[in-house]
Amino acid sequence: MVVRQYNEELEYLEKKSPYKWEIKKGFQPNMRVEGVFYVNKFLEKLMLEELQNACRPGMIGGFLPGVKQIANVAALPGIVHKSIGLPDVHSGYGFAIGNMAAFDMDDPQSIVSPGGVGFDINCGVRLLRTNLFEKDVQPIKEQLAQSMFDHIPVGVGSKGIIPMNANDLEEALEMGMDWSLREGYAWAEDKEHCEENGRMLNADSSKVSMRARKRGLPQLGTLGAGNHYAEIQVVDEVYDKWAAKKMGIENVGQVCIMIHSGSRGFGHQVATDALLEMEKAMKRDQIEVNDRQLACARIKSNEGQNYLKAMSAAANFAWVNRSSMTFLARQAFAKQFKLTPDDLDMHVIYDVSHNIAKMEQHYIDGKPKHLLVHRKGSTRAFPPYHPLIPVDYQLTGQPVLIGGTMGTCSYVLTGTEQGMNETFGSTCHGAGRALSRAKSRRNIDYNDVLEKLQQQGISIRVASPKLVMEEAPESYKNVTDVVNTCHEAGISKKTVKLRPIAVIKG
Amino acid sequence: MGDIKEEDWNLPECKYEYLDHTADIQIHAWGSTLSEAFEQCANAMFHYMTEVEYIEMKESYEIEVEGHDMMTLLYNFLDELLFIFSAEPNYIARKVQIEEFDTTAFKIKAKGFGEEFQLGKHPQGTEVKAITFSNMQIHENEGKCEVFVILDI
Repeated sequence: MVVRQYNEELEYLEKKSPYKWEIKKGFQPNMRVEGVFYVNKFLEKLMLEELQNACRPGMIGGFLPGVKQIANVAALPGIVHKSIGLPDVHSGYGFAIGNMAAFDMDDPQSIVSPGGVGFDINCGVRLLRTNLFEKDVQPIKEQLAQSMFDHIPVGVGSKGIIPMNANDLEEALEMGMDWSLREGYAWAEDKEHCEENGRMLNADSSKVSMRARKRGLPQLGTLGAGNHYAEIQVVDEVYDKWAAKKMGIENVGQVCIMIHSGSRGFGHQVATDALLEMEKAMKRDQIEVNDRQLACARIKSNEGQNYLKAMSAAANFAWVNRSSMTFLARQAFAKQFKLTPDDLDMHVIYDVSHNIAKMEQHYIDGKPKHLLVHRKGSTRAFPPYHPLIPVDYQLTGQPVLIGGTMGTCSYVLTGTEQGMNETFGSTCHGAGRALSRAKSRRNIDYNDVLEKLQQQGISIRVASPKLVMEEAPESYKNVTDVVNTCHEAGISKKTVKLRPIAVIKG
Repeated sequence: MGDIKEEDWNLPECKYEYLDHTADIQIHAWGSTLSEAFEQCANAMFHYMTEVEYIEMKESYEIEVEGHDMMTLLYNFLDELLFIFSAEPNYIARKVQIEEFDTTAFKIKAKGFGEEFQLGKHPQGTEVKAITFSNMQIHENEGKCEVFVILDI
C-alpha cells in the first residue's frame, strides 16, 4: 500500500457530480483503469472517514479502506471500463463490499477472483407477495412471526428440515431450482422470476470438494446468521405505480415476505478451497496484484475454470436454499390463515443474487464484448427490453431488491439504461455496515434495540441475543441514503418502499 | 473422540480480544509462546459462536493440520476447527490445546475439549463463514507472541 498523508490522498479523488467521485490512476500502483464510486454527501463522509482513519500513523491490526480496495481492483489484469463502488461500499476481503468489476473474456490475461464474489456465493434476496393487507395480518402478527420462526431453521448450528441425502445434494447442485421444482418445493412460476431461471448451466459438482459437501448437506434449507433474515413486510410507499402493478403490488399496506440468505457453509467452503488453490496458481502464472487478498487466476486456466464451475454449483445450492425457505414460509402462512399458498397468491416477485460472477455481454465503446462481471455486494439491474429479464418485466426493467437491516425499510428498484452504460447494469445491494460488530456489541444496548423495535410495531424473533446489537440499525449506513443515491445517480429507479412488521433472524 | 482426564479440567486464562472491523471480526490473541497464541486464537473463534460457559468438556477431539508457512498453518488450523464445528461431528470446544507444534515442517497436532453442539443447550452466537488471510499477522517475540486474524461473518 502506498503510504501518504490524507490530504495528499485526496488529490487523487475528484468529485465529478453530487453523486459520483472518480479515483485517478496513481492512487494505488499499476491501476489499469480509473475507479469510481457513487455516494451522496452523507455517505461521502463515511467513505472519507474510513480513508482518513487508515492514514493515521502507527495503525496496528487495521484494514484497507474501501477506496483503496476499489483502486486495487482497478489494477487487476483484464479489467475494462472502471472499478466501480456502489453507494453501500465498505471495506471487505480483497474487493470492497459493494464493488463491481468486469473482465474481458477474450483477453487471455483476464482473471477471475473468488474475492470478487465473496465467501457467501450467490447470497441474495427474494421477495414474495401475498394478497393480504396489513389489517389482515395485524391481529395474528405475533403468531405468524412465531410460526415463521418455527418453520425456518435459523442461526449457528441449525440444521435443515427438508430431507436430503448425499445423492439429493448432488442433483440439487447440478439442477438448481429445477431440483426444487421436481421435488415439489417450488412452483414453476418461481423459476421465471429468478436470475438465470434459478440454475447456472455450467455448474459441475465434480469440482466441489468433499469438505464443501459435508458442510453443505446439513445446512440446506437454513437461513444462517449474520445479516441474513426473513421478514414480513408491508408496502409503505409506491413511487412507480405502473411498475409496481407489473410486480403484483397493488397498493400501500399489501403484505410481502422478504428472504435474505445465501449458499451457507457450502459456498463458504467452495470459496475457501478456491482461494488456497489460486495462491499457488498466482505464483505459477506470475500474476502481480497489489493485495495478497486479491487471490485470482486466469479465466482460461484450470484453477479459473474449476472455480467458475464450483461457484456455479454453489449458486445452485443458494437458489435451492432460498426455494426451500420459500416453501417453508408458504407453509407457515397457509397454516395461520388456513388457506393454500395459492389462494394467498404467494408468488415470487423476483430473486436477485448480490454475490456472484457471471458471463455477460456488454457494449464497450459501441462494440459488443464478452465480459466476466464480478458483483460483490452489488445487484444486477438490467434495463427494460434486456433479453435476460423475464417477459413480465420486459417493459419495466428488472426488479432490484434492496434489503434493509433489522427494523429498517427495504426497497424495490428497477434497472435503467443509464445503469447499463455506467455500471454494467449493476446497483447497490443493501445498507452496508458503518460500525464494526465489536463496537456495536460494546456501544449498543440490547434492551434499547428491542424497545425501539417494539415502539415501531415490529415483532422480532432472534436466535442470538448478541446479534441484536450487531445488527441494530445504528450499525449500518442509512439504506434510504444508499437507495436515493442510486436513484439520483440514475443507475436504478425507485419503485416501492417496504417496511418490516416482523423480523426472523439467526 | 477421547475421554477427558482430570488434569484437562484446568481452563486457560483468557488472552484474546475482538478488535474493530467494519464488516467482520478481527481476533487479536497472544501468549508467551506461539503455540499458546494459536490456542487462544482458536478459543476466541469458538467463544464467538456460543457462550463459553455452556460448553461442557465431555469428550476430546483430535485434529492434525499442516501448512507451507506459518500463515497457512494458522489458517488451516482454524479452518479445520471451523470444519469440525460446521459438519459432522458438529464439535464445539471450550478449550483447544496444541499437543505438537512443529515450526519447521509447519505441522500441528491439537486436541479440543468440548462436546457436540446442541440447539437448546448452547446459546447461538454469531456464525463464522470463513477464516481469511486479510491482514493476517503473526508476531513472534521472546516472551510475547501475538496473532491477528480476521474472520468473515
